[in-house]
Amino acid sequence: MALYGTLCWHFFVGCNPQGNSTSTKSFVDTANAAAAFILDDSTISSEAWMQSYILKVRIALQNKIPIMLLESKDSFVLNAQNIALTDSRFTQYLFDKNTKQPLRNEIFNIYQARPSDLGKVKMENNSKYFRVELYNFALNIATIAIVNVTAKTVVDVNVFPDLQPEIPLHLRELAIKLAVKNTKVCKALGYKPGETDALMANTKTALNNTKCERSLHLCVAPTFVKKDKALWAIIDLTDLKLVGIRWTEVNSTGPGERIGERKLKFEKIMECYCKKENTLTRNGWNMKYIITNSDGLKISHVQFKNKDILHSVKLVDWHVSYSGTDGFGYSDAVGCPEFSQAAVVAVSEPKIAELFNNGKSVGFTLEQSFQSELWPQPCNYNYLQRYEFYNDGRFRVAVGSLGRGCGNDGTYRPVIRIFFAGDKNTFKEWEENKWNLWQKEAWKLQSDKTGYNENGYQYLVGINNASYGLEPSKGQFNDHGRGDNAWVFITAYNADKDEGEKDLITIGPCCNTDYRQGPEKFIEPMPESLEKGKFILWYVPQIKNDNAPGREYCWAESYLDNGVYKTKTYPCMAGPMFIPIK
Amino acid sequence: MRIESIFIVSNFIFWGCNTSIPADEALEIGITDCRIQPPFFVQSRFDLKRSALSTSEKRSTGLLLIEIPKTNGELKRTWQHPTWQLHGNMGPISTDDLGNTYVAPVPTVNTLLNNPEKQNTIFKVDANSGELKAFVKLAMDKPDPTNVFGLLGLQFDCHSGFLLATSVSGSTRNISKGKIYIIDPKNATIHDELNGYDAIGIGTCGITGTKRVYFGLARKSEIWSVEMDKNGKFKGHVQFEISLDLLGPRGDDKARKIRFDAQGNMLVYGVEFNFNLTAPTEKQETLYKFSWNTDENKWDLIP
Repeated sequence: MALYGTLCWHFFVGCNPQGNSTSTKSFVDTANAAAAFILDDSTISSEAWMQSYILKVRIALQNKIPIMLLESKDSFVLNAQNIALTDSRFTQYLFDKNTKQPLRNEIFNIYQARPSDLGKVKMENNSKYFRVELYNFALNIATIAIVNVTAKTVVDVNVFPDLQPEIPLHLRELAIKLAVKNTKVCKALGYKPGETDALMANTKTALNNTKCERSLHLCVAPTFVKKDKALWAIIDLTDLKLVGIRWTEVNSTGPGERIGERKLKFEKIMECYCKKENTLTRNGWNMKYIITNSDGLKISHVQFKNKDILHSVKLVDWHVSYSGTDGFGYSDAVGCPEFSQAAVVAVSEPKIAELFNNGKSVGFTLEQSFQSELWPQPCNYNYLQRYEFYNDGRFRVAVGSLGRGCGNDGTYRPVIRIFFAGDKNTFKEWEENKWNLWQKEAWKLQSDKTGYNENGYQYLVGINNASYGLEPSKGQFNDHGRGDNAWVFITAYNADKDEGEKDLITIGPCCNTDYRQGPEKFIEPMPESLEKGKFILWYVPQIKNDNAPGREYCWAESYLDNGVYKTKTYPCMAGPMFIPIK
Repeated sequence: MRIESIFIVSNFIFWGCNTSIPADEALEIGITDCRIQPPFFVQSRFDLKRSALSTSEKRSTGLLLIEIPKTNGELKRTWQHPTWQLHGNMGPISTDDLGNTYVAPVPTVNTLLNNPEKQNTIFKVDANSGELKAFVKLAMDKPDPTNVFGLLGLQFDCHSGFLLATSVSGSTRNISKGKIYIIDPKNATIHDELNGYDAIGIGTCGITGTKRVYFGLARKSEIWSVEMDKNGKFKGHVQFEISLDLLGPRGDDKARKIRFDAQGNMLVYGVEFNFNLTAPTEKQETLYKFSWNTDENKWDLIP
């Protein structure tokens, strides 16, 4: 056991958990959930031990029978392996059925069959039987062959979807190395662990078995016990990376409740981003942000250089309709992963990143993605919210779909709610070469005939004593967007009525193709005056998806990388830019 | 075996007398089916041998009678009484010994058709007319926006003639207000209730020699049970029975439905459930089968 403080000494601190009421039973270990780490980096380690394994995978994929074989000095084992490879039932899942490209397959274990392994197989006297276990990483399938090495025959083959055999020694060692060499693990423990510190990474004990419940990848959890706590490091052996780490309290029977991918991610997001508002101060901007129950990532109290700009912005709904079938589609809310009304949930933390233009930093972005469990499979969704804040005071509220949905005839209509700060606000539209003030609540569609001023602004928003041009996307934002074709609604703010200040339940149905996207219910039947100077802007882009090769839009496709499926995305980004008028 | 004390609301507590069901009688409970096909099925003119009620058909709302196609190429035929889609999307279904069907609303994807304030009502489909009407409106607080669910499980208990129901109405991430109800279908009243358990699937069985109500927790991958006495009341302690942790493709399934086959094996239909409205189009459900191990007094997974 390494000593404290030899190489690293920082205990990591996650978000500060919000206290539970002492009068109620807590179902969540809030402190440990909040202190967990989700690791989103998909880069494979460049260290020699990992690259050596990757090389073996690549070599195996080039073989006629693309299987990484088990290395052994036991001739019975080798014979059993060779005999199994001759059986077409055993090798039926080696290639992608469409592209015929090889899938990552590996023989995990070969051992003398026990009577219980033989099932209905009738044993012949004087014959030796071996059980050969093949795992397909791409499809998450185990194929088990029973081989009579004496008769040189395969006597039985069974395929088990979603079953993962015991991992072999070299993968156990790989998992432990991935854990102990990770700086997050080191920081969490407060020392650099040795490989022997990880408890039995491949045994079927309660100590370290785990699952990646969402990705359905092969995962194990090297577990490090420190005093009365255990640190779970969840290793994804399909993607060869650390998924995340989390502490549990050790009890008398082991390191507490099992930590899996879903629990780690969901509880971290709930504790740190759903239960509490976070503060972001950067490049002259100040704001708060929180993942809502059903209205996406909400930003609020947004200031630039200490001037109030936005009261709040959020994404109320995604309406998805398919033209092939009348009235078919979904009205999806996005939000927190548990105890929410979200149909597509947050599975990663909000990301803050530098924003570049021509290689020069011009601001920063705040992003949040929401993902269905089986995405990119058909009828599953992946949505992105991106707020852009520029050093010169511009800001953009952008949203996008990463597919893939239920067909190639889909139209996405996200409903964005923007509530400006200030109480002497005005809204003007560029019409007939001049700005015309909107006196009452109304809606308008951006179309081919829409007029824009010389700077490309369709509207002018007055926020107290400042003005912002609203520039919708016409495909000019270098994000592959093809134009918003958006409905804009302006509704008066009423302090005595909740018109979306709190979390909104689903605001409208999936499949209205006209202005009836939900906000109109706050306008009709009698539009109110906007003279009070406080109003909400609802922005509803209309985005048609496309799967035509070379023109993919709001789409996602799977491809093979080192024999396992990865996803290529074709986001369709939409949303307006707000530019301060000097 | 884990034991938790419970709060049982009962009108009477029987002191000094044995209210348990005799073991030889208990052994048949859950195994012997009493339910009959609703007579109104004939209205559909379907082949009744291939017809069943469903609440999970794509692109349809509420309850539906479906006729399973005879051959692969044949289209599935459906029939719906006009009252069956008036209350939004539906979830659990159970039929009684007279052919009456009980069904409860459960929101799917969103709450457009399922007002969260109306998710704690059991509906009854009349055996003869097929008309769906509200049957029992279970009490509920104003729902918290973080939990839009109410009733999640229903099962008619052939032995007692009572209807069992589970509800998570009013529960939040930190507070469990779930209840398990025993309802008398004759007069639509609550016969008994068990407080503080958020559960989904429910079923009764006596294969262990004691009649027990088994229920799948909504927050954990576990099945628990409590004894049901000869008066149709909950009795004694609630106890842990089975963990679904690490089982199946996902490893954290919750028991959506619990049934027993003719041999007394427990059939558990496991799904993902996290108190949200995610709904993969392709239903991700795994069937787990457990047999009662009389030597060790525990349920064993049948691989």
